Parts: sequence; structure tokens; C-alpha cells
Amino acid sequence: MLNIENLHATVDGKAILNGLTLDVGAGEIHAIMGPNGAGKSTLAYVLGGRPGYDVTEGRVLFDGKDLLAMAADERAAAGLFLGFQYPVEIPGVSNLQFLRTALNAQRRVRGEAEVSAGDFLRMAREQAEGLDMSMDMLKRPVNVGFSGGEKKRNEMVQMGIIDPRFAVLDETDSGLDIDALRVVGEGINRIMRRSDKAVLLITHYQRLLDIVAPDHVHVLAEGRIVRSGGPELAHALEREGYGAIAA
Amino acid sequence: MSVLALPSTREEAWRWSNLSALPELADRRPTGRVPAVLPWIDCAGPRLLFVDGRPADGTDSGPIEITTLDISAGDHALARLAGRTGWRLRLGCDHAAAGLVQIVHVSTGGPDHLAGEISLDADAQASIVETFIGDGWTNRFTAVALNKGARLMLNRRLLRGSGFASLADRAVLGEGASLAMTTLAAGNGDSRLDGRIQLAGAAAFAEAGGALLARDTQNHDANLIIDHRGLGTTSRQLWRSVADDQAVCSVAARVEVARGAQKSDAEQSLKGLLAARTATINAKPELEIFADDVKCAHGATVGELDRNALFYLRSRGIAPAEAKALLTRAFVADAIDRIGEEAVRDAFRADAERWLGGVS
Repeated sequence: MLNIENLHATVDGKAILNGLTLDVGAGEIHAIMGPNGAGKSTLAYVLGGRPGYDVTEGRVLFDGKDLLAMAADERAAAGLFLGFQYPVEIPGVSNLQFLRTALNAQRRVRGEAEVSAGDFLRMAREQAEGLDMSMDMLKRPVNVGFSGGEKKRNEMVQMGIIDPRFAVLDETDSGLDIDALRVVGEGINRIMRRSDKAVLLITHYQRLLDIVAPDHVHVLAEGRIVRSGGPELAHALEREGYGAIAA
Repeated sequence: MSVLALPSTREEAWRWSNLSALPELADRRPTGRVPAVLPWIDCAGPRLLFVDGRPADGTDSGPIEITTLDISAGDHALARLAGRTGWRLRLGCDHAAAGLVQIVHVSTGGPDHLAGEISLDADAQASIVETFIGDGWTNRFTAVALNKGARLMLNRRLLRGSGFASLADRAVLGEGASLAMTTLAAGNGDSRLDGRIQLAGAAAFAEAGGALLARDTQNHDANLIIDHRGLGTTSRQLWRSVADDQAVCSVAARVEVARGAQKSDAEQSLKGLLAARTATINAKPELEIFADDVKCAHGATVGELDRNALFYLRSRGIAPAEAKALLTRAFVADAIDRIGEEAVRDAFRADAERWLGGVS
């Protein structure tokens, strides 16, 4: 589904990704772990198409198509979702307005009919309930005044409504307490664990992986994957630290 | 060629105005052609239509009369040209005008001068919307007097095709009177807005500001002075400017607190959004305070759309133009959402929306 080949990328002229290769098939959940500065967030932003993250070599295919040739909004319409480590606050734009605009923009690009206001509200209510968010919160401006945990749950509400085929989740577990971690983890399972979908889960810690069991675990260090394995690799990292495993 | 004495940009109060088109516009002849569809808001109430500064036949002007006015524009270079003949709305004690008073000013290409007077007696209430369309030079002076406890909502839309609109206001508010004014510039052509609001009576309240939207080579220039004289008076000034292309939006907003005007509470918020790096936004907040027990807050910012927010919207599938329009709409909404009456607010929102539809 997603094929990353020998990806090199720079930020402000500094090389961050140095020949990263990774294949994620449909129905799979891959966890990417690694120390600070390994390039995890850069990988997420490069896949999401953030300006300022320049690919200097390599390629990324999404369903066989050149992902890097698409603009950020085109990638979203193609089915890619980027869960932000630091979701952005947007004063003056309500969550509901933002999400309905986003959903319908994607549907238009795909040649699908727009979702009516009534149907959209039903979808929003359903997703909010699944993530312990109130509709009142969705009426408020995007992420404004939300706690760290609420912002992450809001990312999952967005993912539920947009219903992507591929999610890149950048440290979705950071800033969550134990209860919120469970709600978010179960949300990821409910929305994304399907044979026609896949997830790239970027995380520092094992605890999210106890809820969202990965099929594959990769260790990222200095901009490339230095080790790959099954779920047991995450446990080994937790026990022994990155230093021992990534060396 | 008529003789027109205009201030120069060397004068501080006129430094950001571009009056260079006025001499030529002053000599143009109006066509007299009125559009078939006029921008009335679907609301009950008196409607008054002025074409080139003269009342058109057949409109229901309700309590408004056309007469010689007892007002003075002082030495204001443009306001004094508005003359002394015009429209007058006078409401007695406890009177509310029947519904929303709407005035549409159509200019058909020539110079068009008109004065107005709004005078509300104790506890009277009125809500007025003035809409300006057409071309040429439209010049207005409006004098407002609000007696004790009177309330006036005065909202204006500039939806012109081209030319220049100069609107000057002078308002005096008595004890506990309240004035809420929002001006939306969402058309083409240039403008100069002048306002002087005097909070003369104790506990008088004024909220004034609006949204200036400009593109191409448009120039909007707003100058507002709120003069706190009474005890415990309150003012709120909120302006939002958006400039695209080579356009210029300028806001000079001043708060004056007179000696003895204790417990004055004034806030200013001037924000500008540059939709292009070739555009210009000028913001000049000023405070002049001669009392010691007052609360005055001011803030002025000029910037571009937040890149992080833009990427966030795009990462959810919203195309660049739509993402920019959504963020710009949110920026402008602060100014328009203050309008209390839903039908008026919706109409102003729709006008801003039409303008934003063209943000590149």
C-alpha cells in the first residue's frame, strides 16, 4: 500500500532522513520507534507533504502512485491521514465547520456526493461519542483551549469522520493520561484495523502498543531504519533502551 | 474645472489617504442609471433610496424626513462639502423606529454629497443600515445625538463598484446612551472613514469598528476618535483589515480620556492580515489620557496567515484557496459577529463571503 524507497530528506538544508526504506501492506499496523532526533516526525511530515521538508532522493508510492508529486490536500483526498504530534489551534473556525469543509473537499476530489449537514452531524456525534468528546467541544474553535489530551482525541475524531485508508500517527500517545490513552488506542483500532487499511504508528513508548498491537516494529535512528521485527522488538526496546538495540 | 481644496498627505491625519482621484470625480457627470436589483436586507422597516444624493420617489421613508439640517461638520475638509440638506431621523422619548431602517445610497458616477442627522431622545432606540453602491464620489456627513439612555445601532456596507466614498460622522452620547457601529468595506473603489464619538454623559457606551477588505490597488483609510468625557464611560474599537495585491488598508484609532473622566474603560484591537507581501497595512493605535483612574487596553498586529494552520487544513484535504478563505473568514468574523441583529449580521457575513470567494 505504501512503499518508501531510499528516502532522503532535508529540513533547512540539514539531512534528517538518510535512505529510509519501508513497505507497509494493506491490513498492517507498523510501529516506528526511535530516540529523539532520529527523524520520526520528519518522516511523518514528508509523507504528509509539509512545505519546508525537502526530499532530495528516493521515492514514495501510495497505491503505486507517486505520493511525493501530490500536494498535501491531494494526498488527503487520496486517503492519507496525518495525525499531528502538536495539533494546531485555529481561532474562529469551529471543529464542525472545519471537518465538514475537509470531508466535502475530499469527496469532491474523489467525485463523490457531498455529505449533507444532517448526515454530517450524525457522523460527528457518533465519532465524538466513541472518543469521549462532547458535541459542545466540536462546536468550539479547532483545538482552541483544548488540553493536550483533548487535542489528541480530537485528531482521532477527525480521523473517524474522514475515514482514511492510511494513517500516519505522529506520537498520538504523547500528552495522554492512562484513561485517554486507552480511549485513543481503541479509537485507532476501531477506525483503522481493517484489511483494506494500514497505519504507521510513530511512538516513543510501548504503552500505546499494548492497546494497538503492531504487526511490525521498526527502529529509526539517524534517518534510517536500523532494525525491524515483530511486537517483541518493542518489548526489547522498553527493557534495554534504544542505545543497545539501535547500535 | 471646479476648485476643490483637499488636504495633503503631509498632514498627519491624511497621510494614508489617497484623494488624488477626487478632482476628476468631482467633475464627472452621473449617468442616473439605477441597478434593477438593490441590496435591501429582507427585514421589515422603512426603506429610503438616495440616487446621487437625492431621495428617489416611491420609497417608504417612515419617520425619516428630508430637510435642512441644523448641524455643523466643522472644518473637516470633506465633511463640510456634504452641505446642510439631507435626511433626518428624530425619535422622541421611548420610541423605537418601526423595524430596521434601511438606506441605500446609489451613486451613478458623479460627485454626490449629502448630510444626515440622527437624533434620539431619552430611551429611544433605532437600528439603521446604510448601504453604498455604484461609482463616482459619494461624500457623507452624519451627525448623531443620543440623549440619556438612547440606543443606536448604525451599520454600514460599502459595496461599491468603483470611485471613492468618504463618510464622516460626529456623535455625542448622553448619560447611559449606547452606540454600536460596524462598517464593512467589501466592494471596489477607495474609501476614507472619519468618526468622532464623544462619550459626554456618565456611563455612555460606544462600540465602533469594522472590517476593511481591499485588493488590487484599493485604498481604505479609517480614522476614529473616541473621546471619553463622562464618568465611567466605556468604548470598544475593533478593526480587522485584509489587504491583497497592492492594496492599502489603514486604521488610525484614538482614545482620548479627558481630565476628570475617571473610571473610563477603553479597549482597542486593530489587526491586519496581509494576503500578499505586496500589500500594505497601517495600524496606528493612540491613547491620550488625562485622568488617572482609567483602564485602557490597546493591541495592534499585522501579519500573514498562520502557515501551520494552513498546512493543518491542507493535510485534511482542503485545497489552498479554500483553506486561505476559511482562515481569512475567521479573521474577519471578529468584526462582523459583533452585529447584534441576526438578519443584518447574516447580510454582512454574506457580503464578506462574496469578497473572500475571490481571495487567491
